[in-house]
Amino acid sequence: MLQFGALAFASPWLLLALAGLPVLWWLLRITPPSPRVLTFPAIRLLIGLRPPEETPARTPLWLLILRFLIVALIILGLAQPLLNPAAKLYGSGPVVLAIDDGWAAARNWSARESVLDGLLSQAEREKRPVILVTTAPSASGEPATVSDLLTPSDARRQVQGLKPKPWASDRRAVLDALGNLDVDGTAHAVWLSDGLHDDDVIEFARRLQSLGRVDVLRDDDGSLSRLLLPPESDGLSLVLRLRRAAALGPETAQVLALGGDGSLVAQTDVTFEADATNAEALLQLPVELRNRIARLSIKGEAQAGAVQLLDERWRRRPVGLVSTGPAEVAQPLLSELYYLERALAPFTELRSGDIAALLNQSLAVIALADIGSLPEPEHSLLADWVAAGGLLLRFAGPRLAEGGGDDLMPVSLRGGGRTLGGALTWDSPSRLATFDGESPFTGLTVPNDVLINRQVLAEPSLDLGDKTWARLTDGTPLVTAERRGQGWVVLVHTTANTDWSNLVLSGLFPDLLRRIVAVSQGVVGEQMAHEDLPPVETLNGFGQLTAPAPAVLAVDQDTLGSGAIGPEHPPGYYGNESFRRAHNLAGPESRIEVIRDLPPGVSADSYAESSEVQLKPWLLAAALILGLVDLIVSLILRGLVRPATGQTTALALLLLVPLLAAGAPGAAAQTRIGTEGGSAADLFALEATLETRLAYVRTGVPAIDNVSRAGLYGLTRLLQRRTSVEPGVPMEVDLSRDEIAFFPMLYWPMTPEQRPLDDIARRKINEYLENGGTVIFDTREPSAGIQILGRSSPNGQALRRITEGLDIPPLIPVPPDHVLTKSFYLMQDFPGRYAGGTLWISDSEGRVNDGVASVIIGANDWAAAWAISDVGRPLFAVVPGGERQREMAYRVGVNVVMYALTGNYKADQVHVPFILERLGQ
Amino acid sequence: MAPPTSSLRKRAEQLAATLPPLLVAAERVAATVAQGVHGRRRVGQGETFWQFRQYEPGDTPQLIDWRQSAKSDRVFVRELEWEAAQSVWVWRDVSPSMAWRSSDALPEKRQRGDLLTLALCVLLTGAGERVALLGSGQRPSTGRGVLTRLASEIERAQESDADLPPVMPLPRYAQVVWMSDLLAPLDEINRVVRSYVDRGVRGHLVQILDPAEDQLPYQGRVRFEGLEGEEPWLLSRVETVRDTYLDRMTAQQEGLAAIARVNGWTYAIHHTDRPPQTALLALYAAMSQAIGI
Repeated sequence: MLQFGALAFASPWLLLALAGLPVLWWLLRITPPSPRVLTFPAIRLLIGLRPPEETPARTPLWLLILRFLIVALIILGLAQPLLNPAAKLYGSGPVVLAIDDGWAAARNWSARESVLDGLLSQAEREKRPVILVTTAPSASGEPATVSDLLTPSDARRQVQGLKPKPWASDRRAVLDALGNLDVDGTAHAVWLSDGLHDDDVIEFARRLQSLGRVDVLRDDDGSLSRLLLPPESDGLSLVLRLRRAAALGPETAQVLALGGDGSLVAQTDVTFEADATNAEALLQLPVELRNRIARLSIKGEAQAGAVQLLDERWRRRPVGLVSTGPAEVAQPLLSELYYLERALAPFTELRSGDIAALLNQSLAVIALADIGSLPEPEHSLLADWVAAGGLLLRFAGPRLAEGGGDDLMPVSLRGGGRTLGGALTWDSPSRLATFDGESPFTGLTVPNDVLINRQVLAEPSLDLGDKTWARLTDGTPLVTAERRGQGWVVLVHTTANTDWSNLVLSGLFPDLLRRIVAVSQGVVGEQMAHEDLPPVETLNGFGQLTAPAPAVLAVDQDTLGSGAIGPEHPPGYYGNESFRRAHNLAGPESRIEVIRDLPPGVSADSYAESSEVQLKPWLLAAALILGLVDLIVSLILRGLVRPATGQTTALALLLLVPLLAAGAPGAAAQTRIGTEGGSAADLFALEATLETRLAYVRTGVPAIDNVSRAGLYGLTRLLQRRTSVEPGVPMEVDLSRDEIAFFPMLYWPMTPEQRPLDDIARRKINEYLENGGTVIFDTREPSAGIQILGRSSPNGQALRRITEGLDIPPLIPVPPDHVLTKSFYLMQDFPGRYAGGTLWISDSEGRVNDGVASVIIGANDWAAAWAISDVGRPLFAVVPGGERQREMAYRVGVNVVMYALTGNYKADQVHVPFILERLGQ
Repeated sequence: MAPPTSSLRKRAEQLAATLPPLLVAAERVAATVAQGVHGRRRVGQGETFWQFRQYEPGDTPQLIDWRQSAKSDRVFVRELEWEAAQSVWVWRDVSPSMAWRSSDALPEKRQRGDLLTLALCVLLTGAGERVALLGSGQRPSTGRGVLTRLASEIERAQESDADLPPVMPLPRYAQVVWMSDLLAPLDEINRVVRSYVDRGVRGHLVQILDPAEDQLPYQGRVRFEGLEGEEPWLLSRVETVRDTYLDRMTAQQEGLAAIARVNGWTYAIHHTDRPPQTALLALYAAMSQAIGI
């Protein structure tokens, strides 16, 4: 490596090639540019001529400098110049790259990749072997490894396959391997740490240090990974909890709550206090929205620790309604279950049935209307269920008031109950007191019109106040609750219908139930609770849900409970399609700390972008561009491209060709006759219009098309010889492609192979017929009688099929006095190759288009009669025969052409004398 | 496609239509035996009436003029004036050097030569002269029918390396017309011309040149390559030798003019960037005026 200030060359020996530049100078000076080559007939006069002074043509100086520059750029580029080169690697032994690829490395992974890339490039330049140490267990479950000596390119291949893992690094696993590492010379170890501390940091650093010099790279404090801890649900809101590694001033993170389909449900800021490593924020949402949350994640942190997957425990709150029997169905509007259903249905999933049936399902809340004391099997089942986390919501009523209830009550009741405002009482019905701060109902406004007429009363006890969630204005409890094991027992001291109060009619009642349901822990008594759950989707290192890797095992309840994370149990969803449990990287107790206590002599640095810039690609690109310039200049100098005309030609090629292809107007094409260029359509138009031409429709059957061409050619020859019409060579038109407006008439033989016209062709022909064109349809059949559009023959059917959709006027057989009988020759029948067929013509007595019929339909195969070979001999015999018939066929052709070209002017009295004369004879 | 002959013929006829029929000065009419419009004031084959004479035994009965015979008791035979036509042999250069043009806007020299040849033939046959292509092996003949044959012969002609016409025995007092770029060495040209002159044949030289050949409009470093197997010639700066080249060209043309003058032939230069009418007019003037009718 050769260094000049900020510029260094990785392969400085190549710079010696610059010494060869003078040789190049000499070579270029003596080699003149190669000459233009021209053919020249009068070369005999040139031979022997010599210019007066034979100065050898020299490469111009500026071109020389240009070529010099190209070569110099290539040499400099190949010498691998580096701007701001990185410091040299230390020592002479291998380069040890220790990479923390656990979850915490994912946030800044791209910085790690670029640092690794820089280090490997450096190792490549200095030809140092590389040892890769990865500290996280691999996805297949093997522990972290130390690689053998690798060439830098092999190492690069491995590094490119390296991805952060969604579990933590395990530095202890590689300690032994590091200790056993035998290194030639002193190594330069670079530890790309994830910046988090664990117990093995010091030992790990020491082991590295024993190999040689150690650089530790760690993230800046601000970009260390943070943990999103499992949220806590306190009644109505989710408590979001974040943890960071270092308490370094106030910091705000945004937490996104996303739905199962990735849609954003909510977003909230979580702010760390200046000296705190924990932060909390409340996410208050309506239950309906809260139920949609599938995952929480820290915005901008793509790593598995910043994601908390939520499962059904946070979501569904199925409520079971215990129905007691058919008696309630009799008067549904008075039934307690009716009011409960109406109040709960908007935000919960309701199920009803008897207790035994309900307990078989996954429920969060079971609501019991007025049921006195529970019978035995149900009672103990319910008690177990509550202890496991269920919430039992009971309502009072006459049966409870009489029976006194059982022990599944938050409070013990006094017998009988209490009536307020009845006929025999002094008090008026009581109202609700405002909810105090301890109650989950805090914040709900109490309407004034809620009146409680009757209630059951609790036995006074010391903890009655704590158990009371709602009370009346006189202080007697209306809702009491008590924790039983994991669950709750809640009692509403009045009925769930309107018998005892109008509470159920007020808007407060659904709100109360909503809060009560929110208190519940979630689904209790899951199915599969004791089975191992197979993985459904797992998080990758960047916190994205992917299909689980093959090494992922089914997880059992203990593992889920302990929150163990590893290659066998990466974070993700476990279970099946109908039931999923989330397994998250961060448990409530997860801790992270900044890496510390590094042994002395270890230099710490951060992942700064390397400022080293490779100049090689830029120099080579510049050389390439200059080379292209040189090529163009050489072409111009050699005269292969002439600058004056050459540029215009090139411009014309560049600009005009697309324009022409896009359909330049015909006028523009006219001005360019003689120059090459012009699209096929323009050429066709020019060819068709510079001379009057007969044309025939291409049928796609080569034999028929050849006959048509030869026939029209014969007719053209005859017209040239006998008449003042001198058409050019006949042309073939393809209806789907070519413009037909140029031709006075079209000859169209019918073949069964022809397909019906497409829309474009049909419109084109209709316009042609409308604007004065004449089409001659020829079905080419001997004596097709009067019936022209019959089903008699394939060609007739083809005619019928093809003319479908064409605007063909009514047809009549050619009347004896029609212009066609006298437009050039006087004739009465129209034989072609066959004689006798009727010629049909559109009845256009109207004065449109000069009275020329737009359609002529016949069957006599005129083209075959007209057809001649190149030497002028007829190709086909006429039927029944005789040269007279052929002559008459030619006369038909002449008449038709005259008719198409001149219109009806022969319909006047021009021929009257001759006709009279003939009549006279 | 039209047979190209008809379009070439048509263009030639259009070109010729602008000039009156060309009457080639008939010189030494008696020496030729062929028929033409130049009456020889004696009995022979022809078209115009000359005299009646009495039928003699040996005359074919077809010759009897029955209308005249009916006027008297004798039987008359109609005799026609002997007419003689000049025969013109046209030769055009089909060597590779003719198939060249300096720019796409110009016709090749050979195309222009073909056009002039056929136009001349149209004029000549219009005047009743007999024409043939020199070297085609055909006898000279007249009439419009011959034009078709000539046109197809011209079109079908293969390239040949000869840049001078073959020396062929022609009837005395026939005329030859050369359409060529006449860049061959003057000695050779002179030799061929002399061999014709020795047979009493008169001739007209038409030199067809591309404007680039007359001006050498190139510059810079150019390697010139010939079309007939000549050695390539490299010039480092064409513009420096332009004057010398023009001198040589002028010398060639003056030499040609001298050859024509000495042998009583005519000589005309035609450039392909000029309209063909001028060349045809010059030829017309040369063939009709040089001798005088």
